[in-house]
Formats: sequence, C-alpha cells, structure tokens
Amino acid sequence: MKLFSKYNRILIIVSLFGLLVIGFLFYQMLAYYLDQQIDHDLVEEIMEVKEYSAEGKFYQPHEFEDLVVQYKKIPKVTPSSSYADTLFYNPVKHRRETARYLKTELALVGQPYQILVIASKFERQEQIKNICLIILIPVMLLFAIVLLINRILLKKIWSPFSQLLNNITAFNINHEEPYKSVEMPVEEFRQLNEVLVELSGKVKSDYNEIKLFTENASHEMMTPLAVINSKLDNMLQSNVLGKEDGETLVELYKATSRLTKLNQSLLLLVKIDNNLLQDTEEANLKLLIEEKATYFQELITERNITLETKLEDVSISTSRQLLDILINNLFSNVIRHNYDGGKIEISLDVDKLVFANTGHNKALDPEKIFDRFYKDNTSEGTGLGLSILKQICNRQHYQLNYSYEHDLHTFTILFNPKLI
Amino acid sequence: MKILIIEDELVLQRSIAQYLTGEGNICSMASTYAQALERLNAYQYDCILLDLTLPDGEGLQILNYLKRMNRTEGVIIISARNSIDQKIEGLSLGADDYLIKPFHLSELNARILAIVRRKSAHGERHIEFHEIRIDLDAKEVLVNGKLVYMTKKEFDLLLYFVSNKGKVISKSAAVEHIWGDDSDMVDSFDFIYTHIKNIRKKLTDAGSRDYFQSVYGIGYKFTEA
Repeated sequence: MKLFSKYNRILIIVSLFGLLVIGFLFYQMLAYYLDQQIDHDLVEEIMEVKEYSAEGKFYQPHEFEDLVVQYKKIPKVTPSSSYADTLFYNPVKHRRETARYLKTELALVGQPYQILVIASKFERQEQIKNICLIILIPVMLLFAIVLLINRILLKKIWSPFSQLLNNITAFNINHEEPYKSVEMPVEEFRQLNEVLVELSGKVKSDYNEIKLFTENASHEMMTPLAVINSKLDNMLQSNVLGKEDGETLVELYKATSRLTKLNQSLLLLVKIDNNLLQDTEEANLKLLIEEKATYFQELITERNITLETKLEDVSISTSRQLLDILINNLFSNVIRHNYDGGKIEISLDVDKLVFANTGHNKALDPEKIFDRFYKDNTSEGTGLGLSILKQICNRQHYQLNYSYEHDLHTFTILFNPKLI
Repeated sequence: MKILIIEDELVLQRSIAQYLTGEGNICSMASTYAQALERLNAYQYDCILLDLTLPDGEGLQILNYLKRMNRTEGVIIISARNSIDQKIEGLSLGADDYLIKPFHLSELNARILAIVRRKSAHGERHIEFHEIRIDLDAKEVLVNGKLVYMTKKEFDLLLYFVSNKGKVISKSAAVEHIWGDDSDMVDSFDFIYTHIKNIRKKLTDAGSRDYFQSVYGIGYKFTEA
C-alpha cells in the first residue's frame, strides 16, 4: 500500500470513529437536557392542575400547547409520581408522536384522581435534529476540506520523492549517464538525495575501477602469453625433441590456449559490459545460422552428431558483432557438451531462437548455469561461454532461458520478452 | 625479405626474429619510437611489425610518419588490445593487418607473406611448390595443372602450411588459424587431424607427393623431404 493511502486510511478511520462517538455523546446529552426540561414543564402543569382544583375546576391545557391532561378516578390516593417516555396521539396534529408523561395521584375537588400529563417531544426533537445538523454539516465539510488539502499537499511534497525513485530505478551501473539528482524542497529528502548522489557516484567509480582492473590485468597478461606462445613455436622447430618433450609441448600449447581464451573471454565480457559493441544493423538470422552451421560442420560430423534445423526467415536489427559471438557461443556450447552420436536441434521463429542438445549431464541448475566459471570438472571450456551469452542477451534486452526437456539441454532466446 | 620488428618486449622481439630469420628473412629490431624512426630513416623494408604501445610514444605515430613519407612498406600492427576502434584507426592510417597478442609465429609469418604478396601485386597471384600450384585469386589448387577441389577451410589450411613450409605448425596454431578467435573451440585440436588427412588424400590422389609430416604428435610440417 502506498504511504499516502495508508496515511489517509488511518486518518479517515480514526476521524470517522471519533466523529461517531462525539456525535453519539452530544446527542445523548441534548436528549437528557430535553427530558429534564420537559419534566420540569410537566411538574408545572401539575401545579396548574392543583391551582385549578383549588378553585374547584379541572384544568385543561390550550390547544396549541401540545399537551394533554387526563383525569382518571381511582379509589384512593397513594402519593407517587413517575416520569416516562411514551407515544401519544396528538389530537391537534392528528398523528402519533413521541412524548413524555408524568403520572401522579391527587385528590381533586375532594375526589382521588390519577392525573396523567403528556407532553409532546416532537418539537424539541426537531430542535435537537437541527442543532445536530447545524454542527455536523460544517464539521463534515471541514473534514472533507482537510482531507483534500492533505491529499494535494502530500502529493506535492512527495512528488520530488517519486521523481527520486524514478531516477534510482533508471540508474544503471552499466550506463553512461550518472544518477540524476532531484531538486528537493524538504530537508529529509534533500539529505536522501545527497546520499544517493554520493552513493551512486561511489558505486559507479568502484565498478568502473573493477572493470578497468579486469581489462588491464587481462591485457597485461596478453604480452607474456605472446612470449610463451612464440617460445613454444620456436621450440617446436627444434629437431632434437624427444617423444616426451613433444607431449609436454602439447600440454603447454593446450594450457596456453586455454589461458588465452580465458583472457579473451574476460575482455569480451568487460567490453559488452562497457557497451563498446554498439553497431546496429539488420541481420538475417536464418542465413547467419546456416552459415555458422557450415562453419562448424566438420566439428559436428566428426562426432556423428545429428543437426536438425527448423528455421524461419527472420531478420533482426542488432549488433552484428554481438550476434556473431552469440551464435558462435551457442554452437560451441551445443557441440562441446554433446556426446558422440548425439543430437542438436535448432529452431528459429519471429519470437525466439532455440538451441537444444543431448549431453552427458542431466539437468543443470538454471540458477547457476549462467554464473561465471560455473562448469563441470570435465569441461575444458573457459566457464565463461554461457556468461557471455547471458551478458549479450541482457545487453540486447533478450531473455535467455535454460531448461531440460526430453533429455535435451535447451537454451531459448526470446527476442521480445515483454510481448510474450 | 627485410623485416623491421618494432616491439618493446625484448623476449618477444627476439622470438619473432628467430622464427622469421629461420624463414630466410633479415630482421631489424627496434624497441622504442626513437629507435624505430632511426631505422626507418636509414633503411627500406618489405614489412614492418608494429607494437602500438611503445614506451616513448604511441605506435600510431609511426603509422603517421610512414604515411607522411609515402612509404610503401607493409605494416602489421601487433597489439595486446583487441579493440575495434584501434583496429579501424590503425587500418585507416595505412596499416595492412592487425594481429592480436598472443599469436602464433606461423600465423604472423603467413600474414607477412600475404601482405608482401599483395604489395607486389604486379606479379602473378599464385604460389608454386613443385607440382602444386595455389591460385590466390581464384582460390584454387592445381596439381600438375589439374584442379583439386578443396573446401574453404582446406584451402586456407594448405595455404597456411605452404606459407610456413619447412616449419612445424602446432595443432593449436592450425585450429586458431581456421576457427579464429571468437569460437570457444580450444579443445578441438584433434579435429585438425581429419582436415590434414583430407588434404593429403586429395593432393596425393591428384598425383602430388605427400609433403606433410606429422611431428611429435604436436603438429605438422609441410616440407620438401
């Protein structure tokens, strides 16, 4: 829930509850005072009755007083009087109304009588209603206005904050543009903004330093590698090498090759990270895959691997270099991790490209498979091939998925992941 | 051929010189920008190997110098940086090729020969080795005048071996030559064997002698005897 609605919800609940309680108490108080007043009037009416009876008359109120006095003969007077609410028929207005009565027993004109004085509460109740409304309506109005102001104010105060949120979301460690700072009128937000500017700068410079370090380290290693390679090449020309020396040289060549490849892969990752490969052109993916299939053909047939392709004519606009590396890596991967006599399935349509291969391994951990240097012990690869794939897909906003279906390791690239 | 090696890593410089001298070339060496200029002022070369990162000046300056002086030497940049921008800059300044460290000396040699051949384009664009004739324009191989069909990779490989004739080429170098850098195929060494076998068979079937020699199980040599 948004801070805003949470705040408003609490405010509204508390205010409404308070208003109800206060309204109820207010009404009760008014009603109590009204009853007191009516009771007082009723007592006065009884006095009137007594005065009239002293003159030997039975008192009857005027028509307009909403008052009824009833006399009832009783055998004997027991001094008592009681007040209560009741309903009565108002003979003037010809309707039933709520009322209050006083019942008492008196000896009138020498006879014992029960006297019932009933006074209508209608008018007074109307008054209470009006008083309540007069108070309630402005209070409600005020309440609404407060809420509205609250809303507008909060929105205004928080708008730089949401801008700040947007800017943080837009901030990408890989992108050139730094975190955009926001003008903050509120002290706390201004502090937050300052902290963010500082933090993002630090993160960015640290990250760049790491990348630069990786790049430089890899580059620095290239020259010694070139020395090793050239020494090996020269050593190979010697005519006095024994069989054992030959085997040593083979191992040295392999190790040097791996080291070189590892270095190149690290550099490539940095390069993709740095977004240095940005050329964009329209590439026919079908043609490219067919071309690469021919390129890798010997490697595939050498191991008796069956290649099944189902390619639609698809062109995408992308970096040609990245695409080349992508397809190369996919092919390398499905060939390398296959077994002799295995199978490769490639399918391509407008939405996705799928490379699937048989392999010695059962399903791999899809969480870890794209991690750098994740590989099984038997693999002679660099352990970076799939990370490079992932990185390229991230860069191009493709989605790369791994799954294991029908004994096939399946790599799926969705070109427009958002649309599916 | 006269070759100038401009490289500040002395061990590498010597290694390159050793290999190329074995090929019958004359190598001069320079390890700084100043030395390089001195040599270039005094002599003409067939090919210049240029490391871009020299201690006392950018290697690209040498390219500028060569361009200014209208020199016709072929230039191969040897750089530890696999940067497209640098490549483009170097090539646009008149370099003929760009080789990324680490490289195999056989690869370097093949590239030098290719450039020198291209530079002396007045002559015929073909290489002859006894009964084998390699036509570089048509990308055809003829044995005793008879066309031998080869795939592109086989043609490239044969050309590579002929360019480095008499030298042992490791499987690793051969793999890198045909697969390039961007394919993660370092463990496919043994696969080269099949290629060589096919080339040998095609050539001998066409009546050529077998010039390929397997060496120590590491690589092959294309040689007279």
